[in-house]
Amino acid sequence: MKFNIPIGPQHPALKEPISLRMTVEGEVIRDADLRLGYNHRGMEKLAEEKNWTQNIYLVERICGICSHSHATCYVQGVEKLMEIEPPKRGLYIRYLVSELERVHSHLLWLGVAGHEAGFDSFFMYTWRDREVVMDLLEMISGNRVHYAMNTLGGVRRDLDEIQIKKILDGLVVLRQRTEYYFKIGASEPTFVGRLAGVGYLSKEKAIALCACGPTARASGITADVRKDDPQAVYDEVPFDVCTADSCDVLGRTVVRIKELMESYKICEFLLRNLPAGDIAVKAPKKAKPNEVVSRYEAPRGENIHYIRSNGTERPERLKVRAPTLANYPATIEMLKNGFIADIPLIFAAIDPCICCAERTVELVNARSGEETVVRFGDLRKLAGERFAKSPVKRNAVWPF
Amino acid sequence: MAVLKTILYLLVYPGLLFLFVYGTFCEWFDRKVYARLQNRMGPTHTGRWGLLQPVADFFKLMAKEDIVPDAADKPLFTLLPIVGLAVVATAGLLMPLWNPFPEAAGLISFQGDIIVLLYLLSLPTLIAFLAGWSSTNIFSQIGGTRVLTMLFGYEVPLFMAVLSPAILANSWRIAEIGAFYRARPLLLLPNVIGFVVALICVQAKLERTPFDIPHAETEIVGGTFTEYSGKKLAFFRLMTDIELVVSSGLIAAIFLGGFGGSPILAFLQFVVKTLAVIFLLSLIRALTSRIRVDQVVAFAWKTMAPLAVLQLLIVIIIKGLLK
Amino acid sequence: MKVAVFLPELLRHLFKKPATVDYPFKKLTVPEGFRGTPFLHPDLCIACRACERDCPAEAIVITQESDVEKKFKMVIHNDRCIHCAQCVDSCPTNPVKAMDMDHLYELACFDRHTLKTEWVFTRATPKREPKPVPAAPASDRAGIPAK
Repeated sequence: MKFNIPIGPQHPALKEPISLRMTVEGEVIRDADLRLGYNHRGMEKLAEEKNWTQNIYLVERICGICSHSHATCYVQGVEKLMEIEPPKRGLYIRYLVSELERVHSHLLWLGVAGHEAGFDSFFMYTWRDREVVMDLLEMISGNRVHYAMNTLGGVRRDLDEIQIKKILDGLVVLRQRTEYYFKIGASEPTFVGRLAGVGYLSKEKAIALCACGPTARASGITADVRKDDPQAVYDEVPFDVCTADSCDVLGRTVVRIKELMESYKICEFLLRNLPAGDIAVKAPKKAKPNEVVSRYEAPRGENIHYIRSNGTERPERLKVRAPTLANYPATIEMLKNGFIADIPLIFAAIDPCICCAERTVELVNARSGEETVVRFGDLRKLAGERFAKSPVKRNAVWPF
Repeated sequence: MAVLKTILYLLVYPGLLFLFVYGTFCEWFDRKVYARLQNRMGPTHTGRWGLLQPVADFFKLMAKEDIVPDAADKPLFTLLPIVGLAVVATAGLLMPLWNPFPEAAGLISFQGDIIVLLYLLSLPTLIAFLAGWSSTNIFSQIGGTRVLTMLFGYEVPLFMAVLSPAILANSWRIAEIGAFYRARPLLLLPNVIGFVVALICVQAKLERTPFDIPHAETEIVGGTFTEYSGKKLAFFRLMTDIELVVSSGLIAAIFLGGFGGSPILAFLQFVVKTLAVIFLLSLIRALTSRIRVDQVVAFAWKTMAPLAVLQLLIVIIIKGLLK
Repeated sequence: MKVAVFLPELLRHLFKKPATVDYPFKKLTVPEGFRGTPFLHPDLCIACRACERDCPAEAIVITQESDVEKKFKMVIHNDRCIHCAQCVDSCPTNPVKAMDMDHLYELACFDRHTLKTEWVFTRATPKREPKPVPAAPASDRAGIPAK
């Protein structure tokens, strides 16, 4: 017997609204359909109304977890447009915050994976230790979530000796804890039993479906913007790209834990080799007409910003391609022939940031395929009518 | 007068009121231990050390709006929480606790009460299945089928594990089994395998991690109880609490030597032993991640059932040696 | 594969102090440099409107009270404020900035309109340091006379 299960738009496994419609046979998923558009905020249009400085804080708010990624990606692009070169110390601090953000994002993901697998103790412990890096970030930048470290031409806050010492001490604790979690994640039988072999994505499929970030790297693809197209400091920093060949959720977990270790190495390198000097140069108010594509390896994968300027103090176009969007087609592939019990794990394994990926909304008539523009008031009226008319659904009839 | 005493027995001690108070206390204990194992605080503010938190939760739920889905089978949907509560409360009466009214004793302690208790403990599972099925929600139905699938896994090992001490004690009466082992405490040792099997199966029966599959929130929302709200959900939660008390009491009575001595001493033993069992259950809950329903059945039949058979064999051999 | 690898860690924490804080009763201290809510030193403000122009949330509004007097009114809409502290960065006053951030973080309230803070002030005249002597006629900027 085939039937449909709606996962979302509101579902405990999802932290943000998205709709996954599963066609299920018993406990096995036969088909999956993914619907976006519940979280559209019109940020790209808004960006055209704000000046270059204001937009740093706007793009930062595309996402809460990878806030620094979007801001850095945008700032990199605008600096290229304005033809300014940030000082070395500023760059080192900027990418230090990037790596610390990767640490907090991956620790967060580990906790979420534990929670989705019903392993709440793991969730509590990883999130407790994530507080260490959160406190470091708060100390560096003055806020726990939206660091606002970037400015056009550098960073906004400097590091002093005490802070550097505190960060190095924090990294020691984090490294120790991460090694412990690696041990737990690789040997707790109930946990490994849930992760191993789940959500298989072969290397060929991963390439064909343009997967990115840890999802691609867990399928054995060595793709990392930090190595392939090194921005600013990454060509000076020694680090390895972490991959796994198991192509499943366990592989994605392993890749992320390995990346944590690499991030600690990068942070330590950056802190020990922090050059002296200014942290920022003054940026002009306007940018010459030009266009630029900026790439950045966010914790979730490759983040791309396309920026076009027209000589005014506002961008003419800002296009954001978040890594989650690139991973959606691969997710559908992973979900097929899985169990219902694995839906949250597989979906969480791409580390979805749904509001990152919500760029446009298109109203398409499901029957005719016609695209329409509908005013918000009409849409509400339509929804009300449909609800009033719809009959009571009886998908199970009791025999008396 | 006897009637009045029986009513008091049913409603106050060890009937509903006692079970309510002790059930909520056990839930508090479970939550607190679980939280402390995870380096958290747990309930803190309602009452001293948060002791009244489960009671507060219960009364808050009672005051909430009670929604019955249009498509649900209304009489069944409404009746199930009450029946469920009644079933586990009846099972609670069978516990070999200190009995202040000896004339009611024949009613609650008899040869074969262990079998009745086990069957009464199986009923909540069926009620959960019916609750899931009658609420016509797709998540509830998946939850309902998972409840039944799991039942086929853990029920047989549980019965075998629980009955093996009874075979050794040569009695089908819980009080007598307890008395037998209190007289010969060394004989508790051969039952260790059975104790572990029973503990894990009770964990599955109570639908706690790693067996919280029927209401795995990240997969199927609220599972069997997705559509339940207000009073009905409060009843179901109370049912789970009392089930926790009764099943931990059963394990304590059979595997840990029961509750003997003077009335107060017996009651203290009951509290200490049930809390010890609940502590172990909480530890299992904190220690594991949820497994899939196919893994449960495989685990139950490939590991639990052979272990239970082994336990039976050990018991039979020891019994032969004793003769 | 081992069984129950997490057990030592769990038992170790059973009698340890919880890592969480009993929040509304005990509070953590925020670090130095925490970005709380913005506020104005009204005696330093030169009403240049740099903060108003750069505020991404348009939370700062500066109006002139009367044309004759140099009286200004600044309103900070804390319900819109996103606590980015760009206003502090944009503020040109030297050496002490007229805009500053405090350490408040408990801003929740029942009515967003109560979150408004306003200052009425006379514009401060910046103490002019001796003018730097223009080294050469600013020939690279055609048409703009050197000050």
